[in-house]
Amino acid sequence: MSDFQTPYRGYNVLDKWDSPSWNEQTREVVGKRLHDIPKRCFLTREQWSLLEAICERLIPQPDREEPVPIVPWIDDMLHRNHSPGYRYADMPPMRDAWRQGLDAIAAEAHNRHGKTFEELTEQEQDALLTDVQENRVERRYWGELPAGGFFLHHLLKSVVAIYYSHPVAWSEIGFGGPASPRGYVRLGFDERDPWEAKEVEPADA
Amino acid sequence: MLAPHQPEPSRRPLIAVGAATLATAAGLGWLLQRAWRAEDDTSQRAAQALGTGAAILCFSVALDSAIEHYRGSFKDRLMFAGPTMAALGLATTMWIAMRPRDADKPAVRVALGAVGLTGLAGLGFHAYNILKRPGELSALNIFYAAPFGAPAALTLAGIYGLIAGEMLSDREYVRTRLPRHAAGLIAFSLLGTVAEAGILHFRGAFQDPFMYAPVVVPPIAAVAIGAAALSPRAARAAEPLLKATALLGIAGPMFHAYGIHRNMGGWRNWSQMILQGPPLPAPPAFLGISIAGLGLLPLLEEQPE
Repeated sequence: MSDFQTPYRGYNVLDKWDSPSWNEQTREVVGKRLHDIPKRCFLTREQWSLLEAICERLIPQPDREEPVPIVPWIDDMLHRNHSPGYRYADMPPMRDAWRQGLDAIAAEAHNRHGKTFEELTEQEQDALLTDVQENRVERRYWGELPAGGFFLHHLLKSVVAIYYSHPVAWSEIGFGGPASPRGYVRLGFDERDPWEAKEVEPADA
Repeated sequence: MLAPHQPEPSRRPLIAVGAATLATAAGLGWLLQRAWRAEDDTSQRAAQALGTGAAILCFSVALDSAIEHYRGSFKDRLMFAGPTMAALGLATTMWIAMRPRDADKPAVRVALGAVGLTGLAGLGFHAYNILKRPGELSALNIFYAAPFGAPAALTLAGIYGLIAGEMLSDREYVRTRLPRHAAGLIAFSLLGTVAEAGILHFRGAFQDPFMYAPVVVPPIAAVAIGAAALSPRAARAAEPLLKATALLGIAGPMFHAYGIHRNMGGWRNWSQMILQGPPLPAPPAFLGISIAGLGLLPLLEEQPE
C-alpha cells in the first residue's frame, strides 16, 4: 500500500510561493490551508476520533510525519454549515446526515464487535466500511439515511476533496495549485509549460 | 440604473492610454521620417523602401514565429524553419535597405527566393495544421490552430526584395508596369494583414475600442494604393493613408504591451502573457508594408495617365 511513489519527485508546489505563478490572494488562501487549522467546534469528541480513524482507512498516510489534516476541515464545514448548496433528495440536510451517519457507524462497530471503531483491527475496519458502502447495515441504526449514499456522497467525497486541497497533495500529483495569476498556455495532450511539474521517469530516479 | 446582468463598465483609462500611445507613435514616426535618407533616383528610392519594408516584415515574422513556435514547443522540427528563414530574410533585406544598389546581386536573389518559398511552404503546413484537427475548417481551429495567413508575410517580404532588385534593371517595364503591379501587391498585402488582425481582434472581442483601428484604416489605405496602381492621381491620397497605417504599425506593439498589462497578472506574469497575450511583434507588419508602399508612390506619380 505504501509502496506508492509520486512520479513528481523533487517537485514542491510551494516553490511557487514567490514566483510569478502566485499572487497575494493565492498566498493568503494557501497560507490559511497550511497554518489556520480549525479547532473542534461541531463534532463531539467521540465523533471526531471516529472520523479520524475512518480517514486513516479511506486515505492512509503512513509515509507522512505530518498527515494532511482532514477531520478539522470537515468539522469546520459542518460548523459553518457550508453545504454545497443542495441536498440529496434521499438524505437529510448535511449536518444531520453527518451526525446520523457517524453515530450509525459507531453503533455498527459496537453491535458487531463490542468495541469502538477505533479499537478494531484495520481488516475489521475495512470490512465494516465496505459493508456501509454496500448498504449491508442494521436499519435500526441508520433510520432514513441510506448508508451507501452517506458513504459515497458525504464521507468519501469530502475526505478526498479536503485531502487534495492541501499543497502536499498537490505536489504529490504534480498539480500547480491555483492558476492565479499564472495559468497555462500549452493545453493539448502531452504538452507542458516550463512552470509545470515534470514527471521523473523511473529509470532516471 | 444598470440592469443587474450587465457587467460593470470598465474604469480603465482606455481613451487616454490610446491617445497617448498614438501620440508617442506619431512622434516616433516623425523621427523615423527625419532620419530617412532617401536615394535621389526614384527607382533606387523604391528599391530602398521595398527593402526596408521587407526587413520590417521579416523582423516581425522572425520574432512572432519564434515566440509562437516556442509556444508550440517546436513539436515538428520544421517549425524551426519559420524563424530561421525569417532571420535570413531580415539580414538580406536589411542589406538591400542600406545598399539598394546591391538588390539585384544573384546571392541576394537566391536568398530572397528561398525566404519566399519558405513562406509558401509555411502556408501549406499551417493549412495542414488547421485541417488535421477535429472540426477541420471550423471557426475554433481558424482562431486557435496555426494562423493560416501568417507565413504569407515571409513570401511577401521575399517578393518585395525581388521587386527591389528588378527596380535596378534597365528594362522598360521598371518605369511602366512594375510599379503598378507592386502597388497592387501592396494593396493585397494590406488586406491580408487586415484579415489576420481582424480574425484575432474578433477573437479578442474588440474589448479595447482601439482594436478597431487596424481593421478600419489599412483597408482604406489598401483601396487608395490599389487605385494609385490604376491612376497616378490617387497616389497623392494614398500617402496620408499609408502613413496612418504605418503609425498603427508603430503604435500596435505599445497597445499590445498595454494589453499584456491588462491581462491576469500583468507584466509580472510575462512568461505566460508573452505567449498568450496580444502578440508584441505582430503589428509592425503594417509598418513594413506601408513603408514599401510609400516608396512606390513617386514612381506611380511619374506614370502617364
